Amino acid sequence: MRELYAKYGGSVLGRCRYLLKDATRAEDAMHDVFARALTHGEDFRAEASPLTWLMKIATNHCLNQLRSERAGWRQWFQRDAEARSEGHGGQGEMETRDLVRRLLSRVDLETQAAVIHYHVDGMTLEEVAAVLGRSVPTIRKRLERFAELGGEELRVR
Amino acid sequence: MSAHESEWTLRRLSAGELAAAEAARIRAHAAGCAACGATLRGIEKDQTALEAQVPFERFEAGVERALQRQKRNETLRVPPRRWVATTVAMAASVLLVLLARPLLSHQDEGRGLNGIKGGAVAELRIGGGAGPQREARKDAPEPLAPGERVRLGYQADGHRYVAAVSVDASGEVTPLHPESGESAPVEPGADMHWLPGSWELTGSGGERVVLVLSDAPLAVESLVDAARRAFQAASGDVERMAPLDVPGEQTHWVLRKP
Repeated sequence: MRELYAKYGGSVLGRCRYLLKDATRAEDAMHDVFARALTHGEDFRAEASPLTWLMKIATNHCLNQLRSERAGWRQWFQRDAEARSEGHGGQGEMETRDLVRRLLSRVDLETQAAVIHYHVDGMTLEEVAAVLGRSVPTIRKRLERFAELGGEELRVR
Repeated sequence: MSAHESEWTLRRLSAGELAAAEAARIRAHAAGCAACGATLRGIEKDQTALEAQVPFERFEAGVERALQRQKRNETLRVPPRRWVATTVAMAASVLLVLLARPLLSHQDEGRGLNGIKGGAVAELRIGGGAGPQREARKDAPEPLAPGERVRLGYQADGHRYVAAVSVDASGEVTPLHPESGESAPVEPGADMHWLPGSWELTGSGGERVVLVLSDAPLAVESLVDAARRAFQAASGDVERMAPLDVPGEQTHWVLRKP
């Protein structure tokens, strides 16, 4: 448990905060994600990249939580001002992450996950496709549709 | 191609997931690259922030509580049913079809996984691939081969409406039939009726298909919402989803896509 905490805790909490924008809920979500890692011990240990597994579960968990809230997206925007950005790559990157976050509610759940893994995690198209079990052209198409909402900044490379 | 390492690569480096040679190369690059160095330090700051805000003991206690919560949810799930299988000849295809039916001991629960009444039957048929057609099991995940499609059938036995949805591993819920509005009136007659069309479930991983027979029409949107809630309650694991919180009798199948 201590190893999971030391290796992955910061990344998982960062993802939960980015999406839920609430420190308490993010911490609860992080606990849920690690509890799942423990209950799915065999699957988890078999993963070539436990980080990928955890970030995928954390992303889905938070997106579903938002989706199941009544008027969840509206509340989510209200929390925007309190949120801390997860960005590390300077002002431009932080703006892209904020833009991504603002536009998420306009697309379906799978596109949301693809967008987060691509624009926030910095995964390649191939990595996103592998994580979501879709083909690269499918992921590209979804990301390009998302980019139409936000312009050049969200261009798929 | 960017001269910088992706943030994902740097995050995997920080988690110690890269092979030694690759890790050494990327560390050397990050040491001389302002942008990658800053990204790596930012990632490391995430961990420092966690350790400052959520000490390990609090983390451990929180995970323990989450485990207990998941166990409680697990015990609330309906236990797996046993099934009595009946084989019937299907005139059109000469193929054998297994019609599954729950044991009578669970009939009065009203709602549950695969909670079909005594005379009602639901069936998910797989075909279109290289192998022969077959019926999907209800009591265990059923692997799908590339190119295989699914069809859904039912014998309503007194129920008046039918609807079906699927939930994939990312939690995306797709109304299969009908695609919107309210659940469809069942076809008259006691025979097996097949929903129009067939579906190829794209992607990989698990996908849960749920067919609901009800006595009153259900809004497809409420069925979709119920499926999302069940997915969330299962912490995003389609294989562990509990029955949907909707009236009527439901049958669940879990398919594992290639």
